[in-house]
Amino acid sequence: MSAPRTTPRLGLGVGLRPGLEWLVEQHDLGFVEVVAENVDARRPPTALLRARERGLEVVPHGIRLSLGGAARPDHRALDHLATLADRLGSPLVSEHIAFVRADGVEAGHVLPVARTRESLEIIAENVMLAQERLPVPLALEHVAAMVEWPGAELDEAAFVRELLERTGALLLLDLSNLYANAHNHGYDAVRALARFPLERIAYVHVGGGEHRDDGLYHDTHAHPVVPGVLALVEELFALADAPGVLLERDDGFPPEAELMREVLAIDAAAQRGAARRDDAGR
Amino acid sequence: MTPDADRDAYEARQAELLRALIRGDEFPGGFDAVKAAAAGRSLRRKRARAVAGAWPVLEIALGDGFGARFDAFARETPPPAFGFGTSDGLAFVRTLAAHELTDDVRVELLLARALVAGRAAVAMRARRGVFARAVALREPRRIVIVLRLPGIGRRGLVVPLARSR
Repeated sequence: MSAPRTTPRLGLGVGLRPGLEWLVEQHDLGFVEVVAENVDARRPPTALLRARERGLEVVPHGIRLSLGGAARPDHRALDHLATLADRLGSPLVSEHIAFVRADGVEAGHVLPVARTRESLEIIAENVMLAQERLPVPLALEHVAAMVEWPGAELDEAAFVRELLERTGALLLLDLSNLYANAHNHGYDAVRALARFPLERIAYVHVGGGEHRDDGLYHDTHAHPVVPGVLALVEELFALADAPGVLLERDDGFPPEAELMREVLAIDAAAQRGAARRDDAGR
Repeated sequence: MTPDADRDAYEARQAELLRALIRGDEFPGGFDAVKAAAAGRSLRRKRARAVAGAWPVLEIALGDGFGARFDAFARETPPPAFGFGTSDGLAFVRTLAAHELTDDVRVELLLARALVAGRAAVAMRARRGVFARAVALREPRRIVIVLRLPGIGRRGLVVPLARSR
């Protein structure tokens, strides 16, 4: 078990998606995240170079490594992430505990892994192979899983904790994914939150979604952040500090002022939580 | 280190689930069929949103039929490895009948091809070098030429044709 690596202070962030380039001029932000596979590493888009010029950190966020898959991670895909991190001076890169393809078939999305000892072995090996080829720390994100594998031997928090302990990877805590899983699979999100390895947080994702007629919460990243997720931001900061919090909005973009209000609402929730932690003298 | 046999069995189980999610039925034993069906729908909706985003004119051309047409296509065709909305839309367009390809869609097709250089090894790759293609349109009769030149970028040119009487 390796000690947690120190993570730089990132502050507030937003996922920099095509259509949100104006974000790099915002003074409230300390970092942006970019979907690694959408960027040509040899020619990063102007907005990313501008972000660096303005002193914002840029975190490449991979979505296609399939670290939870059966195949060992592809060297070219890892080298792409590594080149991007070098080119952008990134303090870390992130990926998912998920699979995105199997037997040559693509999913087009991050899919959950079975939480068994056997899959833990395979994924831990994949993560360590990835780390060998990356120039910066790797943070891992647990995903929103509408469908759960039968026969789980560990709950999500325990699975993530053990994977991070074995690999030394950092945690990309996604509060919307936690909210979605707790709601859709019927457990208490606040109690689960406390059991995640919060001391290993690199940064936090907060995304929008909606409750639909099917009774399920859909983590769309195309809707505003629901109050239950904002409440989890407060609960998190009441328990622990986190170096950065980032809003993920991938679609259905609101006007600039509205998006920034959402970022500031997340910040306010974090500050309420931090104040509670101060009061409790933790 | 994990023996490869473990990985093979692991892959087979993931592939079985994945194929069922894409099709939207016949989920492997032990899965909650209602939640699995919802997960499959949400995968297809995500693809539809990406295609509509990359191909706005295509969505307009198909109107209300876009959602159902794309859903039927997506159940049969797994998403592409690269260029999610763009390539998926390109594959979808190929399944449409010629009469469904409005002039606007055919221009959109050409504009997309001028910017994206098809498959790349690990990520989206922008087109480099010279691209020049033309498409003949019906209403009104005209030829649209799309060029992509290094250092200049993408340009379109419309050449009206004399009306045939």
